Amino acid sequence: MFIDIDCARQKKYNQHAYGDYFTSRRYPDTGRLIAVLSDGLGSGIKANILACLTATMLLRFIAGGSNIQKACETILNALPVCKVRKISYATFSAIDCRDDGAAQIVEEGNPQFIWLRDQQVLTPEHAVITSRTFANRRMHIYQLQLARDDRLIFCSDGVTQTGMGSPQLKLGLRRAGLIEMVLAKLRGSPQISSRELAGYIVAQAQKLDAGQKAQDDISAVSLHFREPRKALVFTGPPYDHSTDNFYARIFQNFNGKKAVCGGTTANLLSRELNLQIISALGQDAGRLPGISYMDGAQLVTEGILTLTKTAEYLENNELVQEDAAAKLARFLLDSDCINFMVGARLNQAHYDPALPVEIEIRRTVIKKISRLLTEKYFKKATIQYI
Amino acid sequence: MSKLAVKICLGTTCFVMGGSELQELPEKLPASYKKLVSISGCPCLGQCGAAATRAPYVLIGDELLSEASIEKILKKITEKLNHAQ
Repeated sequence: MFIDIDCARQKKYNQHAYGDYFTSRRYPDTGRLIAVLSDGLGSGIKANILACLTATMLLRFIAGGSNIQKACETILNALPVCKVRKISYATFSAIDCRDDGAAQIVEEGNPQFIWLRDQQVLTPEHAVITSRTFANRRMHIYQLQLARDDRLIFCSDGVTQTGMGSPQLKLGLRRAGLIEMVLAKLRGSPQISSRELAGYIVAQAQKLDAGQKAQDDISAVSLHFREPRKALVFTGPPYDHSTDNFYARIFQNFNGKKAVCGGTTANLLSRELNLQIISALGQDAGRLPGISYMDGAQLVTEGILTLTKTAEYLENNELVQEDAAAKLARFLLDSDCINFMVGARLNQAHYDPALPVEIEIRRTVIKKISRLLTEKYFKKATIQYI
Repeated sequence: MSKLAVKICLGTTCFVMGGSELQELPEKLPASYKKLVSISGCPCLGQCGAAATRAPYVLIGDELLSEASIEKILKKITEKLNHAQ
């Protein structure tokens, strides 16, 4: 299973910094994801620093091997108290989730999270721990076992208190209002991504606030435990000619999205699977070769030049272009688990000294793309040399 | 009469050896040829390993053109169309 998590935020109006802070990290080796949402006291720069410190420290504590409960308890006992308001400097929600669905959640001060399954709200058991140093601080600890398609929604109080004082929402949106809003959205778009759902919650919350201006920092985190979107990228012909058909069949039978990068590879598939290829000419001469079309593949591009450019786009976060490399970058980012099937047969023509030096070795480029996808975009990427 | 098929190789080698410029061929084609010629790309013509000739390659009808340029292609198209008449 794949844990799709994302956060959307809005600053309190007239402020230049977010008073809430969200951080998350994936550990692909252990299938673990840790995320923390923290709401700093007040708003603006001061709140930003408090929330950032709390969230970052907590994430490091948990990742460093501390049990989530111990890590949160340490923070709970250590967080200073505001002299004026006599309350904690920052509240937090910490999530430690594994891809087998086991999840631990600890909350202190933030609105209670929402656990959704089949349009129903589940009520998990929880334990309460009171701080040894501050009697008014209590953290709630939950142990969950997530099932496929479960969703969790976390938010700062900017969401649940939005619209407070207005004739329609005297007490604000509250948790019940948020649940209603999310369930209605999910009825219309059951497969909505976490990024879109979090964005939707924040946009709606802001609309409800007086004058449609955020009266507090508004943050929403959406977590979706779902089937991974699998993708296969076939690039380069196999080293051994006699295995062409074998790998073409693997490509054909792969259950997920498929891309082909390389003219020889596309021809191989066309020949072995008896599929027609239609090639378009590129829009701008001198940049990248255009894409081709073949039944059974979502994307067919040229090889090395396109892959090299894709790595560059992924590195610089440039995803809006319309060339083949940007299309490939978007294809990769729309997937969760990506397998690169990389052929080891060399194209002797690429070693002609007359060719520009930009032609890199396929394996080097694929390794770079794979690293970027894993480290920068939290994807699961694997490379298989054939 | 079926159209004369022109296939421009868009493989890596051809592309970097000048094939990228050949993508402008549809704009450079004289208006009178447009009904007689169909231009398309091709993932790879598989010719880049050949020792005797050089990229970029273009297939015009059944004839392979090496070290292709817009001028060379237009000349070959004219030749082919005249021959067909």
